[in-house]
Formats: sequence, structure tokens, C-alpha cells
Amino acid sequence: MSSHIKSILFAVVLSIVCGSLLTLASTGLREYQLKNIALDKQKNILKSIGLIEDKKAPSLKTVSGLYADYIKEMWIDFQGKLVPKEKKGENDLPVYFYVKQEKIQAYIIPVHSRGLWGKIAGYLAIKNDGTTISGFTVYSHQETPGLGGEIEKDWFQKNFAGKKILDDKGNFVSITIAKGAVQGRIPTSKHKNFVDGISGASMTGKFLSAGLKRTLIEYEPLSERFRKNEIK
Amino acid sequence: MKITRTKAFKVFSNPIWERNPISGQILGICSALAVTVQLKTAIVMGLALTFVLACSNLSISLMRKLIPRNIRIIVELTIIATLVIFADQVLKAFLYDISKQLSVFVGLIITNCIILARAETYALGNPPLLSLLDGIGNGLGYSQILITVAVLRELLGAGKLFGFQVIPNFFYAAGYENMGFMVLAPGAFIAIGFIVWLQKTVSKE
Repeated sequence: MSSHIKSILFAVVLSIVCGSLLTLASTGLREYQLKNIALDKQKNILKSIGLIEDKKAPSLKTVSGLYADYIKEMWIDFQGKLVPKEKKGENDLPVYFYVKQEKIQAYIIPVHSRGLWGKIAGYLAIKNDGTTISGFTVYSHQETPGLGGEIEKDWFQKNFAGKKILDDKGNFVSITIAKGAVQGRIPTSKHKNFVDGISGASMTGKFLSAGLKRTLIEYEPLSERFRKNEIK
Repeated sequence: MKITRTKAFKVFSNPIWERNPISGQILGICSALAVTVQLKTAIVMGLALTFVLACSNLSISLMRKLIPRNIRIIVELTIIATLVIFADQVLKAFLYDISKQLSVFVGLIITNCIILARAETYALGNPPLLSLLDGIGNGLGYSQILITVAVLRELLGAGKLFGFQVIPNFFYAAGYENMGFMVLAPGAFIAIGFIVWLQKTVSKE
């Protein structure tokens, strides 16, 4: 009996020691981790409009410098009207503007989507015509590495650049991830609304397409205003 | 007595080549396949594993007379898991990009059989200093194979080392092409296979 008590006691003491060590490490390092996450966010926003490339790892200074120079954080209400950060209401949506030479070149919207295993988070940048996608990035996901996980790779994200969220007649159709390659599967007239999918990851594609559509619908009032040239 | 003859030195150096955990004992293959596409991730992974292995061996050996036999595996895993989570937190705080690339594989060090194998077969029965050396030796042995495989894969698969172009452009102009196969997991399998073969052949003599 005493050996059992000894085992239990040992286990309890060990758990307490290990647990408190981890708590210490986690609280002590949180500040650095949050800083990294914030920086990673800025980096992804810059990446979605092609200001930095994935290949070259930019220094921390370039990232925050570029971000401060070109990116303006704003909020929009349900009508697509701009709201300054201080006055934002509960249902207002965040949006980032890429401002160069006093003119908005593109607007960047955060995308939150369901994935196969967890949430997918990224940014979608749309040019100031309100139709053409200028870039897409994913900064956090839980998809299977090598399959759905490919959504974080360059080859997948590059396909988004230049695609449109409107069809030939000017109706909103969102952007869809095809099941496999676009070539041969999708009619040529719709090529501009589809991007190549990932083989072995149809579900990830399906969920991400739905997430993109939902997000784009939410931001449609803003896109509408860009199309009508109401925002410069 | 020469330093190379001491027991401590043997404990340290054996796993680096002679009884290497990957090529000699075929342990820890999973992560060796996954993180060796680039040299940088391979080095960080090697360091993380060496750190965890050295600390777990040391702490388990220090407690080896206290640990109740009937719950020893649980105790070992608790210690290993604590160290791995700690390493993961440190990577997230200071090497964020690399920790994103390593993704789940840092967490998977917990289930890396090398660590449990060393804790069970060595640290539980040997004094702390020797266990520490054994841990560092095995960690370096693991890193050594990882780095070799990563150099092969990054060089042949992408023509780069540490992300810098190594193979000059006139090679490509002359018709040289990157071996896309090396970037995929089977490429790592084959590279490890060659290393195992080489190792078995050399150490027979």
C-alpha cells in the first residue's frame, strides 16, 4: 500500500513542479510571442499586396517601416462607409488600405474561414477597381501538412493574383477554389473566377471557398463603392 | 589515460556515428523526413531535440532512485513533454518564422522514440553526468544525420543552401534542372537509406 501512496505522491509533486515551470515560461515569454504575432500579421498584409516577397525574409525594421508608410487601418460599417478607429461600432468590419501617392491602390480584408481541421485565417487584397484580386495570404491554419497545408504555400497563393470576383456581366460570384486544376475542368469564360485547387485537399478547398465567399459578401458594400469610384 | 579511451568519451561519441539513433537504430525517422527540406529548419530541429534529450536524460537520471518503477513511463513522458513545450514556447518567442515552418514537429518531439529510448535504456540506470553526455551525443548524432539529409535535399532539390542560391546560373543555362523529387518525402527516405547503407558498410570493418 505504501508504494502506491509513494507513486501517487510522486506523480502529484511532479505535476505541480512541471506545471508551474510551464506557467512561468508561458507568462514570461508571452510578450515576445505577441509581438511576433503582430509583426507576422503586418508581414502578411504587406505580402498580400506584393510589397514584400516570401522568398526574401525581410528584416523586422523593413516590415514595420513599410507597414507604417503604406498601410492605413480603417473600419467600415454595414453600408461600406468608412469609420475611424475611435468611432467604430460593434458590427463594423476592419479593413486595411494600401495607400501610395495619396491614392488608395488596394484594400485588404481579413479572411476567417473554417478549414477541415480548424480555422483558417488570412488576408485577401483587392485592387481599387473593386473587382481584381491582387493577392491572398494565409497566416494561420491547422490543415494537414502536405495536403490542405499547401494553402500557405506560394504556388497556391500566387494563383489568386489577377483573378476577379465578378463574372462577365458584372455580377458578384466570389472566387472559388476548383477541385484540382482549373484548366480543362472549368469553362474558359469562368477561368477568372476560379483558382487551382490542391489535389488531396478538396475539403479544405471547399471550406475555404465558402469562407472567402462569406467574407466577400460582407465586404460587398465597400467593393461596390470602389467600383463606383466613390473612394479614392 | 587518453581522453578518447574514457568511458565518458565513448558514451558521448558512440551515438554520433557508430550507434547513431537514426542510421544505426532507425529511430526518429518521421521528423527526419519532415523537417529536412531546408537546412535551416533541420539545424533548429536538431538543436531543439538535443536540448530536450540532454535535459530529459539529466533530470531523469538525477531522479532515477526516486522514480517509482510502476509509473516510470508516465513520469518520463511528463518530464519530456514539459521540456518540449518549453522549447516550443522559446522558439515561438525568438524564432517565430522557423517555428511556423517546423509547425507540429516540435510538439512531436514528445513522441520521438529516441528520447524515450534513451530515458528508458540509459538515464534510468546511469549517473547524471554520463546520462547528460549520452543525451548530447545522441542529439548530435540525430542532428548530424538531419543536417546531412537537409544539405542533400536543399542542394539537389532547390539548388540552394540556407536559402541562398549555390548552384550558379550558367548550370541552369546549360540544361541543369533541380531534382523536384528530393523536395518530397520519398527523397528523404532514399537519402536516409543511403546513409544507413554507408554507415553499415563503414562500421563493419
